[in-house]
Amino acid sequence: MDHLSKKYLRPRKIPSTACSGCGLGLNHKAVIQAVYELGLEVEDVVWGTSIGCAGRQTFATWKGDGFAGTHGRVYAIARGLRLALPPGKKIILTVGDGDAFGIGLLHLIHAARCNADMTIIVNDNLGYMSTGGQYGWTTPQGSRTDSSPYGMYEQNLMSEGMDVLGILKHAGATFLARHVAMDGQRAVESIKKGIQNRGLSLIHMVYPCPTNFGSRELGTRDSVKIYEWIRSQSAPLGEEKENTLWATGVYHDASNSRPEFSESIRKNVEKIRRTAAV
Amino acid sequence: MKRYLETGNFAITEGALLAGCRFFAGYPITPATELAESMSYRLPQVGGIYIQGEDECAALHLCIGGALGGYKAMTATSGPGYILYADPYGWAIGCEIPLVILNSGRVGPVSGITGAPGQGEFYLTRYPTQGGNFETIVLAPNSAQEAMAIVVEAFYLAERFRTPVTVLADQLITDGFEDISVPENDKEMQEMGFRTWPRGINRGPVFYPPTDEIDIPPVVLGRNTGALCSDWTPTEEGYDIEEVTAHHKHAYRLIYKIRNHRHLFNNLYEKIFMDDDPDLVVVSYGTPSRVVNTAVKKARGEGLKVGAIRLINLWPFPDEHFTKKTNYLSVELNWDGQLVREVQRAAPKDSRISFLGSCGDLPTVPDLIEAFTKILRGQSLERRDWELEGW
Repeated sequence: MDHLSKKYLRPRKIPSTACSGCGLGLNHKAVIQAVYELGLEVEDVVWGTSIGCAGRQTFATWKGDGFAGTHGRVYAIARGLRLALPPGKKIILTVGDGDAFGIGLLHLIHAARCNADMTIIVNDNLGYMSTGGQYGWTTPQGSRTDSSPYGMYEQNLMSEGMDVLGILKHAGATFLARHVAMDGQRAVESIKKGIQNRGLSLIHMVYPCPTNFGSRELGTRDSVKIYEWIRSQSAPLGEEKENTLWATGVYHDASNSRPEFSESIRKNVEKIRRTAAV
Repeated sequence: MKRYLETGNFAITEGALLAGCRFFAGYPITPATELAESMSYRLPQVGGIYIQGEDECAALHLCIGGALGGYKAMTATSGPGYILYADPYGWAIGCEIPLVILNSGRVGPVSGITGAPGQGEFYLTRYPTQGGNFETIVLAPNSAQEAMAIVVEAFYLAERFRTPVTVLADQLITDGFEDISVPENDKEMQEMGFRTWPRGINRGPVFYPPTDEIDIPPVVLGRNTGALCSDWTPTEEGYDIEEVTAHHKHAYRLIYKIRNHRHLFNNLYEKIFMDDDPDLVVVSYGTPSRVVNTAVKKARGEGLKVGAIRLINLWPFPDEHFTKKTNYLSVELNWDGQLVREVQRAAPKDSRISFLGSCGDLPTVPDLIEAFTKILRGQSLERRDWELEGW
């Protein structure tokens, strides 16, 4: 265990229950590193997770208070919790791509709409991998998965000309970034900015799944192959190549530009309480 | 005590505030919309929070979030919204989160008739989510004034049992205008039999004891207790585990904490003319019981030996009222017969059990007296001429 694990994580959940070669740990580490670099302590954060690989493997890893919500609903739960928590308390959610961009998209859009202060790390293993590997809403076009044996021919939220971050930007999210698991410190810097934004921040982080995605699409569970496959198709924003699927960096930074949800509700309630005749 | 001529929605709002509710998340739906409206008006006046969900599923999840942060929270809906609670309801049961949920019944299935009373969710309130392995507490008032008292009681039970409690009303209760008295201080609340229970805070990290104990404070996040809760089978500390023994312990708790403490609410019922061993017992809950009570009193005047049981505590079902072998008639606001099935199960073998259903409108006193007379003469209840089969 390194010093970050000792400081922030529960020994009971180490080692991780993730598959051998899974890239989720890289994303998880980036979040913990960001928390550390911001000088936050265990009691400064309530950690929420969701269903699927990303939710299950990160649940109860945080030493402090934590919860795992029903599939796709964690954004609504966190919004309710936001209203009850002290403003200084951070909410960090580590969720999956199916959770955020499939079943939970409506709730995510409404959390963005009201700019509820939370930092959402969408750990994207390119589909539904904990159920064996079915395509999702960010799976690259044409990928072979267990539910797209002929290659995925349905359009999704990352198909040519589309970007799920665009939806969230126009829904009102105030910080949006995209990274891949191998981005290291660049990802940490984005997560730090996200946590510092008093509003809804989302960092989309693609990570490799050798067990299911790798074995179906690449024909191998060799984790090096899928790490290379993802890295070769990612590039920093502005340096995209022909084959770039994931341009990485900060997509939208309107940090602290809009009233935060709970702050605005509290302010209004307090005003009504003081002035309204009871 | 302040008197009003107001709707049940008003009475429920005031009851919730008296019980300490300071968080309401709702979604507009007839006939529970006015409850959301009156909450949006009243809650901020007392420093409470009203928010509107993007759908009912979100509304109950928002309430869960509020409750996890330490609020006493409530939501309200009708049948088509109640069905969207399936997801959060299960989570709240599993994580033992106190909540109050009001369902104002209308005519279903689906959207059905929006502005008319129905009782189609008798079983749905017992099984509001999937998976089994739990008991639910469901209470059904039959007037606006009683709805206020029952909502206060629901908050009390929700806190003590660490569970969501459904108050099953109907359109006539929530929309109807009635004479309502609202207590103005603690003394008046006590005089009216209102009892409250403060929100405790689980000091964690123990999530649940594998026993039927009640009065254990619920999980509250954000107080640095290291509390954990999730939708997976939990260990006693709150960690997720896929293990049958752990699940059995958790399920045992969810079932028996309620079954073994039913004495706290199984006194919630009303009986009339039940002392002289009546030849016919009429069973009902909610607004139909008001017509039933009138009809039974009138029938007694006409020499029919009829009594009535009005259930307020619907679930766990109060089997103890059905120990006598006699004639039973279940009067319900549905045509498929739901409560009657529980009466069939609970009553002694060879009891004669009949069903009189109506929907969207209450049965009339003459309808009921005609049905009593037929049953007591050993005749079966007639079906309408276009019905191929009677119940």
